[in-house]
Amino acid sequence: MGTTASQLGKDMLSEYQELTFLTKQEILLAHKRFTELLTRDEKDLANTRVPIERILTLPELKSNPFRKRICHVFSTSEYKDGSLTFEDFLDLLSAFSDSATLEIKSHYAFRIFDFDDDGTLDCGDLEKLVNCLTGETDDTRLTPEEMRQLINNILEESDIDKDGTVNLSEFQHVISRSPDFVSSFKIVL
Amino acid sequence: MENKTVNFMRLLSEDSTHSTVSSDSCEYYQTEIFDLLPSIQASRPEQSRKPSEAYQDGPVPGEESIHGHLSSGPRDKAPTQPLRNMVICIQGKRSVRDRRKMQISDIGFWVSWRRSQSITMKRVWEQMGGALSGLLPWQHTLHAIEGRYGFGVKAYFVLLRYLVNLNLLHCALIFGFIVGPTIFYGRSKSSEPLKFGGNDSVLDFFLGSGYLDRSPVFYCFYTPGSLNMQCLNTPLLYLAGILTILFLTLILVVRRTTVGYKHTWMLGKQYSMNVSYKIFCGWDFTIQDPAAATLKHSFIRNDLKLFLEEQSFSLREAQRTLGQRVRLYLLRFFLNLLVLSLLGGAFYLIYFATNKSQDQGIPGERQWLVILVLQYLPPITISFVNLLLPHIFRKISSFEDYSFTMQVNATLVRSIFLKLASLGIYLFFIFKHLKDQSQCLENLFGREMYKLCIFNFLTAFCNAFFLNYPRKLLQEKYPSSLLAQLWGKQCFLVPFNVLDLVYIQTVSWVGVFYCPLLPLIGVVTLTATFYIQKFSVLRCCVAEQRMFRGSSSSVLFHFMLLLGLLMAVATLGFNLYQPREPACNHRFSCGPFGNGQNVFNVTGVCVDSLPSPAQSTLSYLNSSAFALPLILAEIIILTSYVSRGRANQKAIERLKDMLVMSSSDKRFLVKQHTTLLRRQRNPCRVRPAAIEENQRLPPES
Repeated sequence: MGTTASQLGKDMLSEYQELTFLTKQEILLAHKRFTELLTRDEKDLANTRVPIERILTLPELKSNPFRKRICHVFSTSEYKDGSLTFEDFLDLLSAFSDSATLEIKSHYAFRIFDFDDDGTLDCGDLEKLVNCLTGETDDTRLTPEEMRQLINNILEESDIDKDGTVNLSEFQHVISRSPDFVSSFKIVL
Repeated sequence: MENKTVNFMRLLSEDSTHSTVSSDSCEYYQTEIFDLLPSIQASRPEQSRKPSEAYQDGPVPGEESIHGHLSSGPRDKAPTQPLRNMVICIQGKRSVRDRRKMQISDIGFWVSWRRSQSITMKRVWEQMGGALSGLLPWQHTLHAIEGRYGFGVKAYFVLLRYLVNLNLLHCALIFGFIVGPTIFYGRSKSSEPLKFGGNDSVLDFFLGSGYLDRSPVFYCFYTPGSLNMQCLNTPLLYLAGILTILFLTLILVVRRTTVGYKHTWMLGKQYSMNVSYKIFCGWDFTIQDPAAATLKHSFIRNDLKLFLEEQSFSLREAQRTLGQRVRLYLLRFFLNLLVLSLLGGAFYLIYFATNKSQDQGIPGERQWLVILVLQYLPPITISFVNLLLPHIFRKISSFEDYSFTMQVNATLVRSIFLKLASLGIYLFFIFKHLKDQSQCLENLFGREMYKLCIFNFLTAFCNAFFLNYPRKLLQEKYPSSLLAQLWGKQCFLVPFNVLDLVYIQTVSWVGVFYCPLLPLIGVVTLTATFYIQKFSVLRCCVAEQRMFRGSSSSVLFHFMLLLGLLMAVATLGFNLYQPREPACNHRFSCGPFGNGQNVFNVTGVCVDSLPSPAQSTLSYLNSSAFALPLILAEIIILTSYVSRGRANQKAIERLKDMLVMSSSDKRFLVKQHTTLLRRQRNPCRVRPAAIEENQRLPPES
């Protein structure tokens, strides 16, 4: 299992087509872009992991405030260092592709927003999320007072079972009502 | 009963949002048993799921343990669910697939063959869908615009593309119903052949007179030819073509409006998920440009601040004193008077310009430029008014002390009113004027519509190339000059541009009866507009400071389009109805409806030729005896839908209550379990407390 980095076999290609939402052209393009990230001697090895720093140089991710979270969520690395293999990279592109379903997209969005990986969005996660959205520097952040008001508003609206956190089903409940989500949760190479 | 549940809910929610959030719940979801709950397991990333795998994969323990942590667990509910729909990594999907293959071989050859067939079929469909969506024009451009300027601007371009498609459809219908039969069966013998020459000049293409007047562009061309059966003749086809266009458009636009409406308005308002949308769906992952990303950050920040401000604004509004309130209402009253007087002035100006343009003397006496200007005076006035007043309205609404969203909406509503009403008034005056002329009235009317279309396009063209582009150049070359600073950076004002589109489409709908090739002209001008606007957006504009939500604004756009369509239909109906009485005596007959025929009696001839049962059926369908049951049936259907909606509403409320209850039960049980566990594990730590308590108790008793 796995692929040598320099070429992509025909059976591999059709397998990836079956397992992801990507078309043949997209997989080939992804492979081309991924190989560009590899160093010369890495190219001959199978299943190379590309460290997170090099992944983040992709222009598609460079200006995304959630780029580190995205890498961590899609990484299958045992050390949780956010490094990606080619297959992880395909997983990422598949979840962010046009044809991925709302359920897949909302599920991954939830995991991206769940900064501490504890399975719910609590106040801390929401605060980090809002900071990511408004910009990380001190002068772009909301004031603590505004932040408190905002988080109260969010929980008031979407925390249906009133346990102080937003869980996956509540999150999907909110997302499913937003027609904009599918079209904005997209990364195309 | 209901009161009780409501009270209960409120108690619970207050309790949980204020006191328990910080201390209690934190403790609650950090307990061990919380991690073992099936609902939590389902949402966990698969790596961290390893230790508890044995717990959750119940039914076939032998098979599951082989695949270890990679099994999809509770996610793999439906074995027919495509692999790509599962939220696991590729390696995980592979092992799931291996397992499934085993199942398939158990199931048998026939089922497996059918399944693979369905997969290939699905893939073929997907490919066809992909190829079809690739055929949609400008996909790439839209993508680029979306990436740099976000949804709002893209929504404008999507609307533009939709209008181009709509006009293409109109063109097909026109060719099928009107132009085709005329080409095939020829025109009436009295009509002269079409040729360019004599007094014709290039100017005619701007004025719609001369050569163009006799060409297929206008109504007059379509005189009845050899196709002259009782139920299939040129007038009937002409009428059928126009009616089909209007009905089809009505259905299409209503459908698009309601689809969007269903998505946003009802659901969004009813359950008020506004802030959660802004947070959870706020980031546009398609953005690649760092500058666009900073812009998006500031969009979101502004939007959130705006929301928070509006929340406190409504608080402040509730606390206003009586005196303040009276003063504010007086101010609003005067500002509304001002708006009304501005509108009145604008309408008078349009009336004046129309009069002036129709009153021109003998054409030979004046220079061609003066004629051109005079001819174009009404469109110029209308465009001028429509260009100026919305900006004034925007300024006025900022004094009214409304919340910001309300300001934008007020401006938009006033501008829509201005646009459509000014068009209506113009049409009305034209029609009054045209009545006492001896030429083909319909052609004259069509000519006015033609001029409006051409002029609007010319304005867009000049605006882009002679105003916006030099402005941008000036800013690039001399960024520090006074003029550049005075002008500031230009934004792409989505609402005003959409107003323009709606306006031009309304003109096209009004004019299609008199100028059947207007949709074709519309396709050409709209396509050109697309490229012009693309140029001015990508080249000249910076993104706006205010954010537009794609979906909700496109609902508004389509609603405006619908208003335009209704107005077009109303105007058309009014115009057709008007000359009915004096029709026979002095009207110069032209176009398809000659020989005393008109729009209203042309179907009568056909109906008369039908066999008597069909005739009586038709007359029954026409009568009020049929209308009454129809209305009754509609009322019954509506009532049933409304009551069903109410029942669903109640069920939703009840389910929410149940959810709160069961969640609090769960929380209670988890807490109880943890305390029990703790007591079991370190009894020594619990005991001192108990002893202490015991020690404290005796003296009291």
